[in-house]
Amino acid sequence: MLLEVLQGTEAGGFILLQDTVSYSGRHLLKSYISTALKRLHFHNAYSDPLGWTGNSAFTVHQFTLEDVSTLIKQTPQAKAVTLVIDSLSWILRHHDPAAVCQRLQALKKGGAVRTVIVLVHTDMHQRGTVGSIRHLATSVVTVAPGTRGLGAVAKTTRRTKSGKLMQDEETFSINEDLSVTIHSKLSHPGHTHVNTDETEVDPTANLTFNLRLSDTERQAKEKLALPFVFSKEKKSALLQPGPGSGRILYEPDANDDYDQEDPDDDLDI
Amino acid sequence: PATTATEVSVGKSTGDRLSCNTTSFQKKSRSKLVSIPGTRPSVQNGQLIVSTGVTSLDYVIGGGLAVGTLLLIEEDRYDSYSRMLLKYFLAEGVVCGHELYVASAQDHPSDIIQELPSPILDDIASPKPVESQTKPCDPEGPDTMSIAWRYQNLPKVQTALASSSRFGHYYDVSKTMDPEICQAARCHGFYLPEHSATVSPMPEAYVALLKNLQEVIHREGFDGSLPQTKSRNVLRIGLHSLGSALWGDDLCCRDNPSHGHALTTLLYGLRALLRSSLSVALVTVPSHLIQNKALMGRITRLCDTAVALESFRGSERETNPLYKDYHGLLNVCQVPHLNCLVCDLPDNKDLAFKLKRKQFTIERLHLPPDLSETVSRVSHGGLAGAAMLGSSGCGSAGNKHLDF
Repeated sequence: MLLEVLQGTEAGGFILLQDTVSYSGRHLLKSYISTALKRLHFHNAYSDPLGWTGNSAFTVHQFTLEDVSTLIKQTPQAKAVTLVIDSLSWILRHHDPAAVCQRLQALKKGGAVRTVIVLVHTDMHQRGTVGSIRHLATSVVTVAPGTRGLGAVAKTTRRTKSGKLMQDEETFSINEDLSVTIHSKLSHPGHTHVNTDETEVDPTANLTFNLRLSDTERQAKEKLALPFVFSKEKKSALLQPGPGSGRILYEPDANDDYDQEDPDDDLDI
Repeated sequence: PATTATEVSVGKSTGDRLSCNTTSFQKKSRSKLVSIPGTRPSVQNGQLIVSTGVTSLDYVIGGGLAVGTLLLIEEDRYDSYSRMLLKYFLAEGVVCGHELYVASAQDHPSDIIQELPSPILDDIASPKPVESQTKPCDPEGPDTMSIAWRYQNLPKVQTALASSSRFGHYYDVSKTMDPEICQAARCHGFYLPEHSATVSPMPEAYVALLKNLQEVIHREGFDGSLPQTKSRNVLRIGLHSLGSALWGDDLCCRDNPSHGHALTTLLYGLRALLRSSLSVALVTVPSHLIQNKALMGRITRLCDTAVALESFRGSERETNPLYKDYHGLLNVCQVPHLNCLVCDLPDNKDLAFKLKRKQFTIERLHLPPDLSETVSRVSHGGLAGAAMLGSSGCGSAGNKHLDF
């Protein structure tokens, strides 16, 4: 599912790539860029994020819907734009995490970009921050070093618009030309519950008294007529749920004074 | 003064058995109380209650949601079922003719209104009781009991929770509500990106929400400000995902939020507004993102009724055979004591929910009796113990057939 994340993204997709210090997700990000995109426009806010030199093209304060939209409009023939952010962690250093979430949501919904792909270094932030950004994402890819030295492990979670959730775990490696090879697909790591069919121990064996029936005894038992055993029709008649399960059938006899009227009716308070 | 002659009506149960603490008692009163469509007085404490849209949730929180109170729903991890509960709440408002107020920072309120499930209007009566558990009425089949045959049609374990009198409607999740029905309902919306041009720092977003809500309540007369000629109605308020980062609140982002009191102040003000008007509110909060547990406790205290959802989707519990029939667990964290000392709740605290197409069911989680000696018991702490004591019936799961 690692590669399907890029395909079939309807408008408003937000792909989050999470990595840690043990394995960098930048290679995977670069491979996504090379496979999915046709033309690359690069806006550098890394060398001078706060605009101190005075002539930087893009500063971190311009990470808003309006400024990104103007940037996109400036590029010729821009349609179906994918916004790739190499490392949201640097932006989170300068802005409040709640504000960053709001801006990401605005970009996701604003219509200026079709897809947003974001890389986040989870070691650099608090769990709540990473959790809040994950909450906004439609697909999350978490990369970690592989255990057997084959490559890295990627856990992908995809959420479709209808609310369906798909999860996958795969080992992959990235080649020289930035293409991704999937080595193996690990099935979803469920708990391995033990499904052994154990032969059940017969409790009537190995006793000092006899609990089993011989054939004649069994036939005699089955021939016995039990009390309150009704015929099939009477049983099914009794088993039908009546119109009301709590009917009270009452026949007043001679001594009862059963008056149907409510005695409270002539109270005049 | 109205005579309060009471009348007990025997419940028309269609084959399901009631547990001992539900009652079919209905107060008969020739009253001069104003009756608002979609509401009724509670049998437990006399408060005016409305349905949450999900009849099993109504049962679990004590009959319904009292007008003037606040229901908190702690969201599940991917906000799927809590969003569904919000939609049920609003759909119930549309069907009963109440007015709606929807606030969200993520989706536009009109999008939420368009996604409401469609009501099953021809069958206001309760749907068929849980069919998987009632056996067919065949006295001589191979599974029949020969001595205890009168109990044959009873469900093996009574898991469905229901009260006898019907209150609330059922909805079909696969269809959305007709646009004509939606438009017939009056709806006020608050979409945060529209209200603030720039990214709003907190707590301005909450203040704006509260002010807007107060203005709507006053203008439409829910607090009694309009003269009596207009017939009374209830305002249903749905607030989606308060406390999330999209409201500008860093409660979910930081371990030590910079304005830790903003959400609690909002809830306090909201409850004051609710108590002084004919309105009822449902608030969802992404509690799984909030790192500070003490804060979550404060938030729960400030709401009247609190319910937490935990869905199995995407977690390792999805493959656990114990949970295979359900979509998640539901935990009732708090129920209010409104004008009374104690409140009446279902006795079993282990509840699980399942979203079916026509019903959102909440059932008691039960373990089947363990008849084999060598099966290892999966330990769940208190869960196994409490469930085993409770509700196994006179039958048994599987092929074993205990007849007595």
